[in-house]
Amino acid sequence: MIKNWVGFYTLSSREVLRFFTVWKQTIIPGVITTLLYIFVFGVALESRIDPIAPGVSYKMYILPGLLMMNVITNSVANTASSMLQMKLLQTLPELLITPLSSLELSISFIIGGAVRGFVNGVLILLICLMAGMSVQDPISTLFIILIVSWSFSSLGLFIGQMSDSWDQLSLIQNFVLTPLSFLGGIFYSVNDLPAWGMAISKVNPVFYTINALRYSTLGISDAPFVDSMAFIITFCVLLTILAVKTMESGKKIRF
Amino acid sequence: MNEIAVNIKNLHKKYDESVYAVQGIDLSIKKGEFYGLLGPNGAGKSTTINAITSLVKPTEGNIKVFDKDIVSEFRYARFQIGIAPQEISNDWFFPVEQLLYFQAGFYGIKRKDAQERINFILHKVGLYNHKDKKMRQLSGGMKRRLQIARALVHDPKILILDEPTAGVDVALRHDLWDFLQELHKEGKTILLTTHYIDEAELLCERVGIINSGKLVAEDTVSNLKASTNKSKLEDVFLALTGRKLDD
Repeated sequence: MIKNWVGFYTLSSREVLRFFTVWKQTIIPGVITTLLYIFVFGVALESRIDPIAPGVSYKMYILPGLLMMNVITNSVANTASSMLQMKLLQTLPELLITPLSSLELSISFIIGGAVRGFVNGVLILLICLMAGMSVQDPISTLFIILIVSWSFSSLGLFIGQMSDSWDQLSLIQNFVLTPLSFLGGIFYSVNDLPAWGMAISKVNPVFYTINALRYSTLGISDAPFVDSMAFIITFCVLLTILAVKTMESGKKIRF
Repeated sequence: MNEIAVNIKNLHKKYDESVYAVQGIDLSIKKGEFYGLLGPNGAGKSTTINAITSLVKPTEGNIKVFDKDIVSEFRYARFQIGIAPQEISNDWFFPVEQLLYFQAGFYGIKRKDAQERINFILHKVGLYNHKDKKMRQLSGGMKRRLQIARALVHDPKILILDEPTAGVDVALRHDLWDFLQELHKEGKTILLTTHYIDEAELLCERVGIINSGKLVAEDTVSNLKASTNKSKLEDVFLALTGRKLDD
């Protein structure tokens, strides 16, 4: 239970302010990358690529995936880098000796990452709207962005706590998260993959996040919407528990 | 009645299978006491301090702060303690004043209630004119003073200082001594670790000497000198540990 509400609010605010103070590093890059994707695929390559779904241009097809990739990257990066930075700069011990419980600490960190993921997601959504993407169900769209931000923020906190160096952190980001994002069906439909590829995709959580968002925006999906939402919500609960329990264990932060 | 501020019973800490950093320390610090913990590097001073603040999980033993267990009643225990760690932390993102507001907030103190205390502390440690600077703009001495300001922002009853004057110039060291004596007169319980023998002699009412994870002596400075028949505390230390303070 959260009891130190002032402490909880203070740490959550600190985590949100932390990424806003360096907005050029935490917000602008995602926007620029998405604009570049839209330019490359929408202006330069679209005429050479056949639509994947009837009535949906290739540029429109990839936009939900690009949005989700941004959300995932930003939410993971926020908690992972905040935690690791505090460990390396010796500021974490000063936080761990305050009267904040492990639950209060972990949820505050997760809120910081979730807000960053959500803010980035909404900005990219606005760019997608300006690029002509439709949003069939705005409430579900915002809910999906929020819950995916929360999930990957929890994952980032776990990764940050378990990492000892920036090298370890970038290894996980480059060799686990980026492949999962690209193989989750940002640029293609998994129905075009061979059977083994489809089977692998269906255990990739990013596949469900992209398809849930693709359904709530464009109305098309490689997986039933209900299945995707069930997977995303379960994934969110499990990752939150993982992050809180790891914080409670004190592994690599209390000795 | 002498109320006990910190009570450590049978503290053991093993970081790996074979090596004990601390083995069987019993230590009591009375409320309002200025207590010095001396020992060579690696003797177990920081492990003991970190166990009090729950950064280190004891392998065996228990610690109470004003008779409350630091694990089961961690919120109460942690609120009573302010610590200025040995390592200077570097929070790059926020200015000095904001860092103090955050620190107060972590201890459950609302911004409006913290304002007066933060201004008082900033004046007290001579950082008021630097309150809008970020940490990278502060000198080493200013960073050390900020550490102490952060430790004091929630007005704790117990102040733990882990080598607070390490690496600071003579003038600042004397300023800090005056400040610590003032805090002591106000009734704060102070636990100090130091490598400077004159600091311990000047400030501490009682001294504990740790060697190889064990408390090998504990008394007032004058009693320690008398019992070992030495005229200087440094000689007492050498006689008890066979090592110099900074070994």
